[in-house]
Amino acid sequence: MSARGFGSVIWAGAVAGAALGFYLVSLNVASERAELEQVETKIALAQRDIRLLQTEIGTRGRLAQLERWNVKFIRLSAPTADQFVEGGFQLATMVTPHKKPAIEAPVVLASAPVEQVIPNRPKLTGDADSPAAQAPAAKSASDMMYVASYGVSDKALTRPTSTKPVMLAPAKTVANKPQAAGAATKSAKTATADPLAPLPTAKPKSKGSAPTASAAAATPKRSLKDSDSD
Amino acid sequence: MNAPTPALVARPERLRLVGQRRQILALMHQRLMFGMLLFAGIIAIIALRLIWLAAFGDHAGRKGGAIDLTPERGDIVDRDGHALARTIDAWIVGLQPAKVIGNKLDLARKLAQLMPEKDEAAYLQMLRSGRSFYYLRRRASPSLVAAINSLGEPGLALQREPDRLYPQLSLAAHVVGYTDIDGKGNAGIERAFDEQLRDPARRGQPIVTSVSSRVQQALEHELDAAKTHFSAIGAAGVVMNIHTGEILAMTSLPQLNPNAAGQGSPEARFNRATLGVYELGSTFKPFTVAMAMDSGVIKSMGQMYNCPKQLHVAGRTINDTHPFGRACSVAEIMKESSNIGTAQIADQLGSARQKEFLRKMGFLDKVQIELKERGRTLTPGAQWNQIERMTVGYGHGIAVTPLHLATGYATLFNGGIYRPATLLKVDKNHAPGKGHRVFSEETSYKMRALLRLVVTEGTGKKADAPGYRVGGKTGTAQKIIGGHYSNSVNVTSFAGVFPMDEPRYVVVVMLDEPKATPETFGFTTAGWNVAPVVSKTVSRIAPMLGVRPDKNREPNLAEVLPFVHEDK
Repeated sequence: MSARGFGSVIWAGAVAGAALGFYLVSLNVASERAELEQVETKIALAQRDIRLLQTEIGTRGRLAQLERWNVKFIRLSAPTADQFVEGGFQLATMVTPHKKPAIEAPVVLASAPVEQVIPNRPKLTGDADSPAAQAPAAKSASDMMYVASYGVSDKALTRPTSTKPVMLAPAKTVANKPQAAGAATKSAKTATADPLAPLPTAKPKSKGSAPTASAAAATPKRSLKDSDSD
Repeated sequence: MNAPTPALVARPERLRLVGQRRQILALMHQRLMFGMLLFAGIIAIIALRLIWLAAFGDHAGRKGGAIDLTPERGDIVDRDGHALARTIDAWIVGLQPAKVIGNKLDLARKLAQLMPEKDEAAYLQMLRSGRSFYYLRRRASPSLVAAINSLGEPGLALQREPDRLYPQLSLAAHVVGYTDIDGKGNAGIERAFDEQLRDPARRGQPIVTSVSSRVQQALEHELDAAKTHFSAIGAAGVVMNIHTGEILAMTSLPQLNPNAAGQGSPEARFNRATLGVYELGSTFKPFTVAMAMDSGVIKSMGQMYNCPKQLHVAGRTINDTHPFGRACSVAEIMKESSNIGTAQIADQLGSARQKEFLRKMGFLDKVQIELKERGRTLTPGAQWNQIERMTVGYGHGIAVTPLHLATGYATLFNGGIYRPATLLKVDKNHAPGKGHRVFSEETSYKMRALLRLVVTEGTGKKADAPGYRVGGKTGTAQKIIGGHYSNSVNVTSFAGVFPMDEPRYVVVVMLDEPKATPETFGFTTAGWNVAPVVSKTVSRIAPMLGVRPDKNREPNLAEVLPFVHEDK
């Protein structure tokens, strides 16, 4: 009898518990939903603010205002047709350094003293033609170097052979500037020394490729060797 | 003992009483039970309702519905999405005199300080009047609202109301239009699309116009500079895509600020680009030549016409600004803008064909565009005889809007197909207008070189923008003052197309009554005042529109150059 009595109590308790459980679930769902709504409201408010700010920025930075600033202070103008480049390649050509005309570069002439100069050899050259056998060790490499300059170098004037200075001076005029000293006497030579003129023969060219080492004595003819032609 | 016990034998009346009481008791029980059931029912209903609410109802902290972001009136944006018109929440300051609790004199004094448009006495009068509500200020600034709020007067009402804002101010004012104080469209797109802008279902989506703000700004600025420089009374300009008919910029000067449209003069509210009709003069000549080429009247650019110094027709005399006094070719007629030559071409063409071409180009009807402000064109009408067709041939005796001219040039250079102009961006939502053929493709192609010649060699030299291959035609038309053509008052226009080797855009600019300045050497012709506007505008807008400047490209000028006589 007592069991039957408890039975109804248990039933009642179970039903109440289930109802409570359902209620809790429902409450939970409701609170989740409320939070979601809050977030949505926040998003909507933020969007409204964004719109407001966009409008304000748009109004303050309106094109007429920018134009006015440009006319008064910034002074930008439309690009001209020349300011457009075809592409990356053309753009790159703009930043490469200008190539100077080669003639203005220092003309370095290799030469070595020649003892047995043939007097009637062609008049001018800066070319070295001394035979390799002619005691190359006697001179240091720096002595054999000549740097073209507008002035008459001491080296040129104190060349051991008398013909050499005469021959070297035109080599300097090769550097394209008429020399004050001796210009009058060497004008004719300057003309022949024009480096842009085609070389008179093919021979000197082949010879010029290895001036000091070659047996230059075998070919006594000397001609201008322009360092640029290499 | 034998005395009868009265209690044992109930008297009949008492018995009756007992019966009655029983009945009454039963009745009372019944009533009590009824009342109890009633209360129990009510309690049950309340409990059920509570349970229902607990299970399915909203919680207490819930806001009243999600915030609706749909504006009261739809936005209008340009083709890149920049806002041209927007609806914002503006503050309004109102006054409810009946609710004022403070000292009215003090309040009137403070109001006069904050809003000096009325004086103390006026405010005091308002405060003492019996009216329930006054608008003190619509679209009040936030600082004013804060100041009024700090007065703490319950009689001052601060409310928000939707208000139309044009962030770019006067930019494209005549395209966008404006609304009245109640938010009803009064002009421009605001008026033409009023229904769509108000419709709750559609106003969430902005109206995307074909106008480009940057192009519009460039055109407005350059045109306004010219208008100021030459002291013109007005100006108009149109930039249009010739293939789709999209209007990229359209302006009419003087300009008005649509934020305060009521303050603009009637002159400023007048849209010269679509509503004003003008005799546009020589800018018509290319049409005449194209019509003649299409009809077979002109077979080559080298076709010769006799160009005397004056031409007398039907009692009227036609003059030239650069008289030839010799035979001249079609190319020369166009290059030097010869009225006499064009009149002869138009005469050969005949009225019927001329009229038919003009009709197909839409020059005889109101211009086709979404706006409601469209002017009726003026034409010779029924009386279209020899002198009329001659004058129409060089753009006199027919008055059209600048937009007509732009669509006409678009027709001429897009391959010969007329397409109505549109202010809506052409994309997947909006197809370009249906077109029909007016000129043949070959005519369209040949006209390129002819109009490029005008700019490289002829009257329009100042319109050239180096590298952009501008081609076009100047037009100087005399204005009718008091029934006669004036010699000094002009309407100058330039219709240009670029890039001429592959035409994409047409620019039409017009100045109304420009005055001569020292650097124009006293001239008021189009070559001096509007042509430079085209040059400046094109060099600004062409890079934005994706036209690459290229000095090595040109249309095929070999079509026309052999037919130009070199004087030197």
